[in-house]
Amino acid sequence: MSKDKIGKDEWVASYQQRSAGIVGWRGALAGISERLPTWAWFALVIAIGVAIPMLTSNTYIIRVAGNIALMATLAMGLNLVVGYAGLLDLGFVAFYGVGGYVYAYLSSDFSGVHLPTGLTLIIVIGIGLLFGLLLGLPSLRLVGDYLAIVTLGFGQIFVQLMTSMTRVNLPGHERPVNLTGGPNGIVNLDPFSILGFTANTVTDYYYVLLAVMVIILIVGFHLNNSRIGRAWRSLREDELAADAMGMPTRQLKLLAFALGAAIAGLSGALFAAWQGSVFPGNFDIALLINVYAIIVLGGLGSLPGVIVGSVLMIAIPEILRNVELAGQLFYLLIIVTLIATLRPRWQSVALLVSVIVFGLILKPILVALSPASFAALEATSSGFVDTIRNWLAIPIEAKAVGNLAFGALILMILLVTRIKDMRVRFIALIPTLYLLSFVWETRLSQEPSITRLLFVGVLLIVLMIYRPNGLLGERRVEVV
Amino acid sequence: MDAFLAQLPQQIINGLTLGAVYALIALGYSMVYGVLQMLNFAHGDVYMIGAFIGYGVMVALIPEGAPLITPVFIIILMLLVAMLGCGLLGVAIEQFAYRPLRNSPRLAPLISALGVSFFLQNAVQLTLTAEFRNYQTELLIPPGAGFDFGDTRLPMTRALVIVITIILMIVLQYLVRRTKLGKAMRAVAIDREAAAMMGVDVDRVIIATFFIGSALAGAAGVLTGIVFTRVWHFMGFTAGLKGFTAAVVGGIGNIPGAMLGGFLLGMTESFAVGFISPTYRDVIAFVVLVIVLLVRPRGLLGARIPQKV
Repeated sequence: MSKDKIGKDEWVASYQQRSAGIVGWRGALAGISERLPTWAWFALVIAIGVAIPMLTSNTYIIRVAGNIALMATLAMGLNLVVGYAGLLDLGFVAFYGVGGYVYAYLSSDFSGVHLPTGLTLIIVIGIGLLFGLLLGLPSLRLVGDYLAIVTLGFGQIFVQLMTSMTRVNLPGHERPVNLTGGPNGIVNLDPFSILGFTANTVTDYYYVLLAVMVIILIVGFHLNNSRIGRAWRSLREDELAADAMGMPTRQLKLLAFALGAAIAGLSGALFAAWQGSVFPGNFDIALLINVYAIIVLGGLGSLPGVIVGSVLMIAIPEILRNVELAGQLFYLLIIVTLIATLRPRWQSVALLVSVIVFGLILKPILVALSPASFAALEATSSGFVDTIRNWLAIPIEAKAVGNLAFGALILMILLVTRIKDMRVRFIALIPTLYLLSFVWETRLSQEPSITRLLFVGVLLIVLMIYRPNGLLGERRVEVV
Repeated sequence: MDAFLAQLPQQIINGLTLGAVYALIALGYSMVYGVLQMLNFAHGDVYMIGAFIGYGVMVALIPEGAPLITPVFIIILMLLVAMLGCGLLGVAIEQFAYRPLRNSPRLAPLISALGVSFFLQNAVQLTLTAEFRNYQTELLIPPGAGFDFGDTRLPMTRALVIVITIILMIVLQYLVRRTKLGKAMRAVAIDREAAAMMGVDVDRVIIATFFIGSALAGAAGVLTGIVFTRVWHFMGFTAGLKGFTAAVVGGIGNIPGAMLGGFLLGMTESFAVGFISPTYRDVIAFVVLVIVLLVRPRGLLGARIPQKV
């Protein structure tokens, strides 16, 4: 327990003491991570980050890694505002967009201005600070959810304006002027080039993004452990008390907003340079949800959580793109979940055997009942997924039946979680698991993009239920 | 000025229709916020499901382009089934996604709600595809039906939406002001713990609140379908945002406030479309929101409760 205890009361401290006494490999792991100094963690992250392009020349993987670094930077900015200072800012992505558009204006033929990247970045950060202050001003009057909706409004206004300001009548111009490029955005931006280094390839950009991420993380770490960081935490825990203790709450809030906005602006500029273009759709609410999911998954106010959250939120959907791999992972996940949750452990084996037998019995019955609705049995099969497809009774009308099965599956899962009796639940789990693999083969694996989002949704719910403070968040009691 | 006056009544009608839908959505937001102090971000998707349930009932009862029973009954049935379905859905969401999080940090239920929203949207997209579906309103209500007031025209569909909304609001007001359940709801909204100590079954009240709020959203979904005909899996997002905005403008947690906020937002949008420019519709709506909140930080009818320490 090397961390300071500011912002935690005795109850929390005792709780943490108890939770620190975990035994087994988890306890050992926790002990190692406790002893490792912070710089070692940073070094580890940097080492892994630097090593990725050396281990693989696959640009796709490097691109995903770059995306993770970019999102981690952005999430770090949001973490300052929401995690450290506790201000629920739903307009955060607008700052990212401002950064992107400012970069686009200052380095493209759209405006005819081509500034050196270094200067552009300084301007972007300056404008980010300014916008953060502007948006922070209402935060001085508004609390909680009111602040959330006003900032959300700002975010929406930003996207709307960028989409629709294509024909604006400006004084001094005869024709309406296209200010933002509208839905077609601004394209053909200058590449990122600073101090004689010009980023051309994906790997170049990856290193730039990684460097910025590391810088921002270090800044965030020191901010968190500084006077300001402590003041922010006191503000987050109890604004009234902080005020009474003489904290300059107004300045602290504005500072949080401004710094968060500057970081977002910087990441937006990097994003624009990397993509080579900006579109209003890049900065919409889906991104906001993603960033929030990252910091909440990782744990609000947690620095390593930002990285873990970004890896999870970016990498998992990418992995699920590969259908065959996704299928294997899917079944593996089910089996691991069963083993982890069912006690005694032999139950999971018994359950799996029962499900397989259930399927083997069910298929001939269904085929016998209505032979017309099933395709001829495939005699040979190879591979894991094919075996499962053969085991399942997949009708010709797979799509329609799969949709019905999906509805039934949701009901079954909800039902199973409500059954208290062990034996009844065991029996109910058999058809549920059968349905699960049926739905996976008929529908989910057919629509990977939808399935990914479905899983993100389920993941968010399940994670919040089991770890409401995120994976690496500090457990703390809310002051009521 | 003449053009303005000539258009004004028509824009008011449009605003009332839009506002009615927003107000119904806002009520659900506001009621849930009242008892749980949480933002139910999945509310917009419950509304979307309501629109689809209404669509399903309509398709089932108009199989070959000819209604099986009197159109009035079809409309009533659509509303009732959608309200019941959405009510149950709302209760299920509360049970499975929010109840385990009742004593968690404030952001946890918010993220869980986002998860539910993702799930519902994509579940609908998976099973029903991302296509637009069209309500066959013309088979239920003759397209020409309506009332004329000079140059202004109040189409039957819009009149229906406004009337049904007002009926639902009166019923809700009666429920909240005059029944025992309503009393319990108000008690829980003011102080959950104190209410529990006085013998109020808080869990039951929360379930009832979710049921009523979601049922109203379901009704809003069907009404949207009847007037604007087009429904799709992503419609809940913007509508939910607008409903939320309306609830906040009126003062979140405040039922008359949600109604007022809804109608105000609807009017603002319709005036923005009619008199300024349709492209800036959402921008103007949000600018009004920001201005209202800057002048009255707790919404129009929100009480100035001193902060509890």
